[in-house]
Amino acid sequence: MLTYIARRVVSIGTILVVLSVLIFAITQILPGNVARVIAGQFATPDMVAAIEAKLGLHDPFYVQYGRWAAGILQGDLGNSLIMERPIGPVLSEALYNSALLAVTAFVMVTILGIGLGVLSAIRQNGPLDHGVSMFTFLGISVPEFFWGIVFILVFSRWLGWLPAGGIPDAGAGFATIASHVILPSITLAFALVAHVSRMTRSSMVDALRSQYVRFARAKGLSEQTVIWRHALPNALLPTITVLAIDVGWLIGGVVVTETVFAYPGLGRALIFAIERHDLPMIQASTLVIAAIYCCANLVADLLYAFFNPKIRYG
Amino acid sequence: MVDVISDTRVKRSRRGPLNLWLGLAITGSIVALALLAPVIAPYPFDEMSILTRLKPPSLAHWFGTDDFGRDVFSRTLMGAQYSLLMGFGATLISFAIGVPLGLLSGYSSRTVDEAIMRLMDILMSFPPILLGLLILTVTPPSLSKAMIAVGIVYVPAIVRLARSVTLEIAQEEFIQAAKARDDSTAYILFREILPNAWPPLIVEAGLRVTFAILLGAAFSFLGMGAQPPSSDWGLMISDARPYLETAPWIVLAPGIAMSLTVIGINLFGDGLRQALDPRLNSSKSG
Amino acid sequence: MNDEPLLKVEGLSVAYASPGGDVAALQDVSFQVAKGEALALVGESGSGKSTIALAVLGLLGAEATIRSGQILYAGKDLTNMPAGELGRIRGNRVSMVFQDPFGTLNPGMTVGRQAAEPLIRHQGLARDAAMERVVAAFAEVGLPRPAELVTSYPHQLSGGMQQRILIAAALICEPDLIILDEPTTALDVTIEAQILDLLMELRQRRNLAMLFITHNLGVVNRICDRVCVLYAGHVVEEGPKNLTLRRPRHPYTQGLLGAIPKIGPERHGRLSPIPGHLPAPGNVPKGCIFNPRCAYALDRCQTEPQSLRSMDGGSVRCWRAEDLPKFRHQAGVIGEPSRSPGTGVPLLDVKEMRKTYPLGRRIKLGGPRLVSIERRDVNAVNGVTLRVRAGEVLGLVGESGSGKSTLGRCIVRLVDTTDGQIHFDGKDVTHARGDALHKFRGDVQIIFQNPASSLNPRRRVGATIGRSLDLLGKISKQDRQARIEELLQSVGLPPYFAERFPHQLSGGERQRVSIARALASNPKFIVCDEPVSALDVSVQATVLNLLSDLRDKLQLAYLFISHDLSAVAHIADRIAVMYGGVIFEQGPTAAVLSRPNHPYTEALLSAVPTVDLTLPEPERIALRDQSLGMKVATTGCRFHTRCPRKIGAICETEAPPLLEPSEGHWIRCHLPLDVLAYPATVTTDGDRKIA
Repeated sequence: MLTYIARRVVSIGTILVVLSVLIFAITQILPGNVARVIAGQFATPDMVAAIEAKLGLHDPFYVQYGRWAAGILQGDLGNSLIMERPIGPVLSEALYNSALLAVTAFVMVTILGIGLGVLSAIRQNGPLDHGVSMFTFLGISVPEFFWGIVFILVFSRWLGWLPAGGIPDAGAGFATIASHVILPSITLAFALVAHVSRMTRSSMVDALRSQYVRFARAKGLSEQTVIWRHALPNALLPTITVLAIDVGWLIGGVVVTETVFAYPGLGRALIFAIERHDLPMIQASTLVIAAIYCCANLVADLLYAFFNPKIRYG
Repeated sequence: MVDVISDTRVKRSRRGPLNLWLGLAITGSIVALALLAPVIAPYPFDEMSILTRLKPPSLAHWFGTDDFGRDVFSRTLMGAQYSLLMGFGATLISFAIGVPLGLLSGYSSRTVDEAIMRLMDILMSFPPILLGLLILTVTPPSLSKAMIAVGIVYVPAIVRLARSVTLEIAQEEFIQAAKARDDSTAYILFREILPNAWPPLIVEAGLRVTFAILLGAAFSFLGMGAQPPSSDWGLMISDARPYLETAPWIVLAPGIAMSLTVIGINLFGDGLRQALDPRLNSSKSG
Repeated sequence: MNDEPLLKVEGLSVAYASPGGDVAALQDVSFQVAKGEALALVGESGSGKSTIALAVLGLLGAEATIRSGQILYAGKDLTNMPAGELGRIRGNRVSMVFQDPFGTLNPGMTVGRQAAEPLIRHQGLARDAAMERVVAAFAEVGLPRPAELVTSYPHQLSGGMQQRILIAAALICEPDLIILDEPTTALDVTIEAQILDLLMELRQRRNLAMLFITHNLGVVNRICDRVCVLYAGHVVEEGPKNLTLRRPRHPYTQGLLGAIPKIGPERHGRLSPIPGHLPAPGNVPKGCIFNPRCAYALDRCQTEPQSLRSMDGGSVRCWRAEDLPKFRHQAGVIGEPSRSPGTGVPLLDVKEMRKTYPLGRRIKLGGPRLVSIERRDVNAVNGVTLRVRAGEVLGLVGESGSGKSTLGRCIVRLVDTTDGQIHFDGKDVTHARGDALHKFRGDVQIIFQNPASSLNPRRRVGATIGRSLDLLGKISKQDRQARIEELLQSVGLPPYFAERFPHQLSGGERQRVSIARALASNPKFIVCDEPVSALDVSVQATVLNLLSDLRDKLQLAYLFISHDLSAVAHIADRIAVMYGGVIFEQGPTAAVLSRPNHPYTEALLSAVPTVDLTLPEPERIALRDQSLGMKVATTGCRFHTRCPRKIGAICETEAPPLLEPSEGHWIRCHLPLDVLAYPATVTTDGDRKIA
């Protein structure tokens, strides 16, 4: 198991470095001159050139990259061009908001997704299974942003129960915060609950058909024991992998959902930065998001190794 | 020998063929509508009219009009073309690149395999939307660029699938026999392995088309795909947001249309999977 | 003895739902198992024997329906028992041992816990008390270090150990009846022998009743009291072992016995296979189920369905049973083969071949250097030298992990060797490329084991053979089709088979197509890698006969690789015995099958279950236990970790020398020849050793 962990950590580390190079490289191709943006509309070519020199924009690629990477490692994410502020604090606040959303959604996905999947498998082809199947079918077929907008229409405009987006001011009570977070989280979770539930159902059906479950029944064990102690633990193992992939979808969903609900998180910050060609912001937020995804994958790999006796005990 | 399920409480499913035909019917109708759109649309999709702005659905305008007075029904019909183009185009790109790479990776030496998989790992370390956004920030966005971006985003998944299928087939004895009679690698890959590899690939293709439609629409929604005045569904929904309360039909029409399209393709894909091989209905695919 | 049978199956009919309609798996099956009796259910694939096993304990799935009949255990019908009551019987009064131990044990749970579950469930024991009983049970089934073993996971253990665990779990609540579904089919012969001995011992000790399902008549002979023969879901014959195996009444049973190759000092010329094949599920013959394949069928057999009737202590489903010619155990010897082996030109010469697979590196903590990186390599082939002459068959025998398949593939150049040389027809082909390799491929071909995977499912048979012709056959366009048909006929298949797809052919037919494909290039030498292991016994005989005929007709030489010593003994002129990548004994068949032998060969020979009741039961030589790991030693003699005749330190440090008891017969052992001439259970003074 030690070998496995070591290999995964090294792998993720390398990938992060490569990613940072890629991100840096791609964003360098952006049209629009950073120096010109800083200098403003009425700048003369000389002023622009001066700023370019100051920012070191004519240095070779690896020097510019080195400077940027060194800064990141020391915690300096650069300055936003548009907001003319250090990026660090802006992103950490955005990160906190997004985390609120993502964690709520993830908890829903895990509990509902796995729960529904397992229950459908146990009562395969029964009414519950058909119902869940239809529900998940909708979940994977309807685009996220459409759900979000429909929710806003129904719950915010027509029923007036919940706010349409944004985030409450600091110091607001739990209920207020919850009311702002609930709709976006559900929107975020919808497609994923559908996906995880289908995967879990599949995996569980496989487990229930397996020879080792037949053996457990042949020993006269109760159906409850067979399902929960024998089938489920083995069925959940592939689900860990699926959840890891879903973190990637979750992140994608975050970007879209925050746009729909005008929620000030990491995703919305990224979109704003792209729209306004705020280069340092694009680089920093992309890197942060990618790093989070990599770490989530690493955690998933480690969990999988821990729960799979074949890897854990060699 | 028939494989037995050892649980007497499992009822048998009879829904397979229904899915296939229903899905085919829905998808077929939408494809037909999309192809015929320029002909059957009552109004040109970009014809504006100040007088008839934001009118609710009526006999003249089945889905009402939008903020520019354009007929929503016609625009929705045209939008079908873009979504289907996105779905099938992106999938085609990802398969055209992914399948040969996967075949090669699964069959060649370990070094080649490692190299390709490392590259795919790096691509897969980006969350899908992020990779797409990154690609789309580099050039001015458009529908075709979004389609290429989505195609590239899905390449690693296709490579992985093609590789694992190839690895499985390469173990079969008839492949060893082909090597033993001095068959060339190209022949083995394309005439021995590939013909046996297509069932799981076809099933995956069906799934990918729906993913591509949804992801492409998301890009348009974010402004990174189709640009105005295009009647792409994602763009239509995004444009209509300010008028959500006053004129919900502008949002609902394209949204429901997109959902129906994806539902149709998903039904067809499910039915196809069950028809092609009941054993594919395991957690190892989809 | 109690009069009431413990298990009574009466008129059981089971059908499966399948896409094409319902398929009858069992028709009117009846048999009984008395207390303490062992009944064998014998049949080939498709006979329905596994269905019976699952039906008894109610483990059939939703796709199977019990159409009629009863399964009575101690008088109560199991087929319509409520689930709760059935649950109290399963694992408690009646338990089951499945076929493939690796798929049967839950990979995510320790083996100790899995064995303890029935105790906890049925006898209400607490966890600790149950574990104590499990440790005792593990010891009883002969597992080493049981207290440590209980915390292991299945993937850490060998197949033999897992099977013992399954047996322990089945017996832990002291049931009256145990059902065993092919419990030793997936195991090596030497392990199988040990498991069978264990089962016999346990039976004795506990007066256990057994329902033993198998296709192997030799196993039946060794362990069971009565035999029940199944064909296509029908019972065709039933009776006490001595009667049924010695004087079989039904033509099918006679056919089965005639098709089995036997090991013996005299070579038998041909086996008698059963012509035809199993009826397709939807195409059941009217009248007697066996009549299309029966050599004694009359018109009446085609119209009248048969019923089971009693006959001297058993029952038979054949109205002609009394009239049929008595079955003779010695299959007729049809002349001696015309060529004399051992005088042909040397064709294949392999010298010191080695093939090593690197398994990657592993980080280890502790030890002299605190953190070290360990290389794990597998020496699949570890210095093998052999030679085959034209027209000769060299049999290569070994169990799983011996490296025999790897050796075969290295010889055919499908796998590159790490070291050593291959000479063919006088030329060094070890690293041949281009034209030289092409010529080699034409001369040397290979046929594989698994008929389900040896042909491209999407290609017609004719196209598959045709492709080989195109590449290696040197044939013109006009002659191509004719040659394809010629090849099909030479393997006993009709020419119109060229248009068929593999799934339309039976296993035996597919294997024959593989042979035809190999013959397309007019090879001189064919490597046969377990060509009959995946076939039913009656079909094996056809393919073995075919291979013998082709050898004679076309002057072919074979390397015949198999784990089945009987098949090898039947067809090979010389035999090589392989273990752990090394050949420990090699020589003419008759010499290798008689003393003196290498200890491994001796153990193999004693382990093979024989059907022939005229021969005495050989003394079983047991190989020493494989503890967790260490099947093949890394220093000295590779066999020393399991050798029952290990001398001592010399076996651990030095590689054994080559001994030559007779011309062309070699043995690698530290023991001197005069000691090897005696069986392992006897001292050199002729006294019995305590085993």
